[in-house]
Amino acid sequence: MNISLLQRIAFFTLGCFVLFSLLIGSVIWSSQEIKAAFTRENYAQQLTNQTNMLRQLINNNNIYDKNYSIYNKRNKVDDWQALQVKLSSLLESAPALTTHQQSIQSSLVSQNNNLRNFFTLINKNKLKNANVAIKTHLKARLMTQLESIRADSFQLSAIAEKDIYDTIKQQAFFIILVSSASIIALILGAFSLTYIVRKSLNEVKSAFEKNESGDFQHIELSHHSQEFDNIVDAFNTMNDKLSESTISLTEMKKIVEERTQVLEKLSKTDALTKVANRRALFERANIEFSRTLRGNQQLTLLLLDCDLFKNINDDYGHVFGDELLVHICNICQQEIRDIDFLARYGGEEFIIVLPNCDLNGGIETAHRIQRSLAKNCLTIGDKEVKATLSIGVSMFNQRHKSLEQLIHDTDQAMYQAKRNGRNRVEVHSYTSLH
Amino acid sequence: MTLKTLSFSLVTALTVIIIILLCLYLSKHWQQPKYPVVIAVSKTPLSTPFYVAKAINAFDDTCVNVEFDEVVGGQRAFAKVLNGEVDFGTSSDSLIAFKSLEGQPFVTHAMFVQSDNDVKFISRASANFESALDLKGQRIGVTKGTASEYFLSTLLALEGLTTEDVRVYYYEPEQLVNGFIAQDIDAFIPWEPFGFYSDQLLSGIIKIHDTKSLNTLSFNLISPTANNLVVEKAKCVIQGLDLAIDYITSHPLESKAIVMNELNISTEFIEWVWPDYIFKLGLNQSLIHSVESQANWAVATQMSQYDNVPHIERFIDSRAMLQIIPNAVNIPQ
Repeated sequence: MNISLLQRIAFFTLGCFVLFSLLIGSVIWSSQEIKAAFTRENYAQQLTNQTNMLRQLINNNNIYDKNYSIYNKRNKVDDWQALQVKLSSLLESAPALTTHQQSIQSSLVSQNNNLRNFFTLINKNKLKNANVAIKTHLKARLMTQLESIRADSFQLSAIAEKDIYDTIKQQAFFIILVSSASIIALILGAFSLTYIVRKSLNEVKSAFEKNESGDFQHIELSHHSQEFDNIVDAFNTMNDKLSESTISLTEMKKIVEERTQVLEKLSKTDALTKVANRRALFERANIEFSRTLRGNQQLTLLLLDCDLFKNINDDYGHVFGDELLVHICNICQQEIRDIDFLARYGGEEFIIVLPNCDLNGGIETAHRIQRSLAKNCLTIGDKEVKATLSIGVSMFNQRHKSLEQLIHDTDQAMYQAKRNGRNRVEVHSYTSLH
Repeated sequence: MTLKTLSFSLVTALTVIIIILLCLYLSKHWQQPKYPVVIAVSKTPLSTPFYVAKAINAFDDTCVNVEFDEVVGGQRAFAKVLNGEVDFGTSSDSLIAFKSLEGQPFVTHAMFVQSDNDVKFISRASANFESALDLKGQRIGVTKGTASEYFLSTLLALEGLTTEDVRVYYYEPEQLVNGFIAQDIDAFIPWEPFGFYSDQLLSGIIKIHDTKSLNTLSFNLISPTANNLVVEKAKCVIQGLDLAIDYITSHPLESKAIVMNELNISTEFIEWVWPDYIFKLGLNQSLIHSVESQANWAVATQMSQYDNVPHIERFIDSRAMLQIIPNAVNIPQ
């Protein structure tokens, strides 16, 4: 069932109202009960007092005296008749009583009738024929009757007191119970409302954040409420439209990055041979040169030049010449280590940067390349075209203040190889090995 | 705190409350030891609380399994209590007064009914007795050592007469009317149901005098002098009686039907006695006064062979009542 937050608050308020009404109702009810019990208690007290007065009268007066009259002419308040009438009318004006008290009330009425009749009987002729023993005995009977009324009044009073105590106890228990229920309901209601609002707001907020990054997703609410459902419906419709018409920023970044990478690669790659170009060469070689300077490491450069490349171009055409350059690059790539770096220096010249490699290592690599090229000739038709390389080798030393100087020395060595008959490896400042 | 934690705490709290309530319920209804108890119940509507208690199973939730030994007249019930044949018995306050003079080892636990018109003075209509003075020298039938005899002495006392002034004839309660029919007596003092039977049998021949206020008879629960176990049993019997009396107050018609069925008595009879009855449990000073004054009177008028009236408090044991209805106990502790 989809209930709106407003409805929830309304139900919650209504629930609290019912609970508090219950509480107020019970307080009113119990105050009425206590009031009624107090009335009964008061009634019982009056009965006890009235009975005590009658007891006193029987005790103090000589009821057998021939001059004794149930009417006291001088003091109408204190005579038997007045007290008895008062007791009887008190009994007739009994307040509403409980079932248990009603049985005692019946007993009281009956006892009072007996008292009245008995008193009338013994007062009729003042027991003029009776001896003292009889008089004492019958007076004792009268007192017993009064005692019985007093005991009943006492019990009536005790029941009323117990009723008051029980009602207060019951009411206190009820108030505690309803208050606890109200507090629990309040906490639970407030908490659940806050929880739903906070959770829904967080879900909406998170969806907005995702939108910011171009992720147009639907909001799925954990707790449904009409208000948030309306917002979510509007948001989801908006996101559907946005996702149809907008390329997300992430996708855009990805494309730009890819393109940048491609462009970067293109800017550092030789278009023909697909090896690093001169720009990339200087970048990498400078890094290696700096590292060598810092770490007191070794660095060797090879400069390779394809012998008589102009003639090959002339004899077999530029396309073949281009193929040959690619072939040389492939041979070189096969013969160098992963950490070594091959780049096209210009025309038919290539430089190989050999980090952590001494002069002998460089010479060895150069010879390996030459041997591999000699072994793997390119063919045009059925004819094998033998291409050779003149390779200059130079190793970094203290004299080299810059990369350019090192390249220059390597270049010198390469020219030395050319001068010494091509297809050779020459080392700068050293006598040629071959 | 998440909603889950709160719900969990709430469920835990509710479970704990339910367990506590269950424990309380079980401890309350834990099967108490059941004592078999035999009660000598006088076959009179005054024993209504006992019959009702049995009919509504009021003793079921108490510690006693009650069996009734129904007897005719309080004398027999008393005898059975004193012989140890039964655990408890029903007795009128008059009988308690006479037995206290004998110094018998018994105690009264509770009063459960009062009637101010149980004992009746019946005379031959033709004799035209108007006042007690007219009884002088007449033959009066009573049951010895009972409320009947005490009633006669009170009736005479109002006019300054004693039993010496009349000719007293002793009969068993059910024989009184026969003595009257046989013309052996001019008047007799029966208690119910014999007053009613006499009225039914001799309607028009007899006169039942209005003596409603002259005698208040109460019926009480008695036992031999009680130890703790007897008090415990008495407590449970009183518990049952309390339930029965509440039932009588709220269901008078049903209660009358129960008694009519138990005693096999007519509607006329129950309607005859019922208005005079007040059913309530109590143990108060008025019972002591009543017993004491009757005992004193018995001594003073030589109705009894004993000269001294013992302390009546000796024959009252309020321990059981104090545990059940303390506010109905009003005697010096």
